Amino acid sequence: MNKQKLFPPLVSGFAAAVLTTVPGVKNMGCCLIVPLAAVLALFLDHKINKTQLPINFKTAVLFGILTGIFAAVFSTLFDVLITFITKSNDFVEALPQTEMLISQYKLGALLDQTMAIMHQMVHDIKTYGFSFLYTVGIFTSNLLINTIFGFLGGLIGMSFLNKRLQNK
Amino acid sequence: MLNRARQLIRKKKNVRFLFFIVVLFWCIGFASQSLFPGSGFAIVTYPVLKRFYGTVCHQVDVKTFSFMGHKLFVCARCTGIYMGALLTSFSALFFSPRLKLGIKLLYAAILPVIIDVVMSTLDIYRYSKYLAFFTGLFFGSVVFIYILDAIENHFNGNKIDNNE
Repeated sequence: MNKQKLFPPLVSGFAAAVLTTVPGVKNMGCCLIVPLAAVLALFLDHKINKTQLPINFKTAVLFGILTGIFAAVFSTLFDVLITFITKSNDFVEALPQTEMLISQYKLGALLDQTMAIMHQMVHDIKTYGFSFLYTVGIFTSNLLINTIFGFLGGLIGMSFLNKRLQNK
Repeated sequence: MLNRARQLIRKKKNVRFLFFIVVLFWCIGFASQSLFPGSGFAIVTYPVLKRFYGTVCHQVDVKTFSFMGHKLFVCARCTGIYMGALLTSFSALFFSPRLKLGIKLLYAAILPVIIDVVMSTLDIYRYSKYLAFFTGLFFGSVVFIYILDAIENHFNGNKIDNNE
């Protein structure tokens, strides 16, 4: 894959990451942002690199997954950056509520261990603006989810663009 | 020839079953607090799953359904989309209608979602969880058919190799 081919998933992955970080837009787009970004990546590739339609399965999957990976990398970077500046985030704010909810149940050592890890993460974020464990956690979840949704978006994009061609 | 046809049917069934299982687990995940209330699993996984589903959903409280006294991890529209995919994936295990999928159906599925999002955001009418759920349900069902169609076409050997 040459550099020019990487450009469309990079741009749409970046756009998806920006949109998932802006709260108001996330409310509107919700789970459709990353799949739509994958559709956009295929469309951009067709327009910029003059890729011939119909799009094949392999290209669609590759573009979808790449868009998901880029979206995960950028959204983690944005999250880390915002957390570093503000020394707070959704996780820190939600912890007291989570703790209250969880402490209603008596789970013993398992719960204590879970809470100790979470408190350590909150302490690191509040003190240094960065927690390694939190960063690894959000990157893993972003990577897993965005790759799956990007893959699905790639397939939807392939169907959409190929059927549009059929209509023409 | 007959053997190849049988193999293709078996492969198709396996793919559909796999999809159903994946979507089912996904749906159990976002409803885990309601399905296993007070269980060790639900409590310990609460922060992890909340963050996990938060990657793909805003999880705004007023836009989220409560089930058996617990909030789901995704909003009403996302619940609709995933339930639509679950229903379609379940039906696909038993029925295999020969649909000629055009682009119009995809437009028809996304249009109600877009209209509802725009109208409720611009305060033309008040946001309704039920409307969001049903527009999502229709969209999820239709989109799942397209995804399944794309994968089955690939496995059936209808590969398009123009780009290679």
